[in-house]
Amino acid sequence: MNAPLSRAIMAVAVCCLDESRREWSAAMRVEFETVAVEGKPLPFAIGCLAAAWREMLTREQGRFTLTNYALALGLMIPMAALQIGCALFGFPYLYPGQDGLRGALLEGAAHEILIRGVYQAAVPSLALLLLLLGLGHLRIAWAMLERDWARVKRMGTLMLAAAATLIIFMGVLFLDSSQALLQVAVLTIELATVPMVARWHAQLFPAAVTEHPGYADPLP
Amino acid sequence: MVRKRQPSKQMRILLDALSAEREQWRHGYDLMKETGLSSGTLYPLLMRMTDQGLVEAEWREPAQPGRPARHAYRLTAAGFALALERPGGGEHLPATASLA
Repeated sequence: MNAPLSRAIMAVAVCCLDESRREWSAAMRVEFETVAVEGKPLPFAIGCLAAAWREMLTREQGRFTLTNYALALGLMIPMAALQIGCALFGFPYLYPGQDGLRGALLEGAAHEILIRGVYQAAVPSLALLLLLLGLGHLRIAWAMLERDWARVKRMGTLMLAAAATLIIFMGVLFLDSSQALLQVAVLTIELATVPMVARWHAQLFPAAVTEHPGYADPLP
Repeated sequence: MVRKRQPSKQMRILLDALSAEREQWRHGYDLMKETGLSSGTLYPLLMRMTDQGLVEAEWREPAQPGRPARHAYRLTAAGFALALERPGGGEHLPATASLA
């Protein structure tokens, strides 16, 4: 159990060190093989992971990597989960009163019979839009980790269009799109942070901008 | 760029270990065993000392054939000077150690 665990920890440690420390990550990995034969690999691997994290915090490239991961894992993925969850589980958080579609239909009310048909026709499109927004968030998170800002830009534009459509849709159908507006506000904040991260990346790694011109101009 | 601040306790331990055999290339694991420093302390120290020009690092072929090359470390002249500078720094150094 120890050996695979220590190898996994070592692999994470190696990944955490940035490009400028590649030689050191290779040095740790080679030394790990010696330790695995002669000593206790787990404490060595944990120490290397601690060293890599300490390096990340003390160097700007490391802080950039941490920020990028924090945005992707702490913001994009939870938003994706929320939107995909809304689409798959009947919009529990999206409508007033948090009663989901049942609440939106005003079940049992006198006019339920009048609006049921319209809502039932609209729900698949709404669910699809939300699902697209959720999947878009996942794709953006992935592209951010790959530092593919051109793709982030394309996805961001598509998601803004989808979010605007969703608001219009909900405004027309349900007369209350406060929850959707909230989601769009979060999306706007998210997409506003991406150009900042992309510019930071361009400052730290100018060579990447030369190779991929889309990096320099991440969002419209 | 040579470090101006007083070395930390851990750095002193490492300076001692490296200056005891000034010309000898040392591996990370050997240094860990000798100094008692963990990998989480040793490697950041080595990185920092290399950045500051106190330690030089090099990939060295291993003694046993078939094993991969290992990263090895030794003090530079500046690093050795720092080892001598500290209070009582050179007292226990071998007579053969020099600033070469």
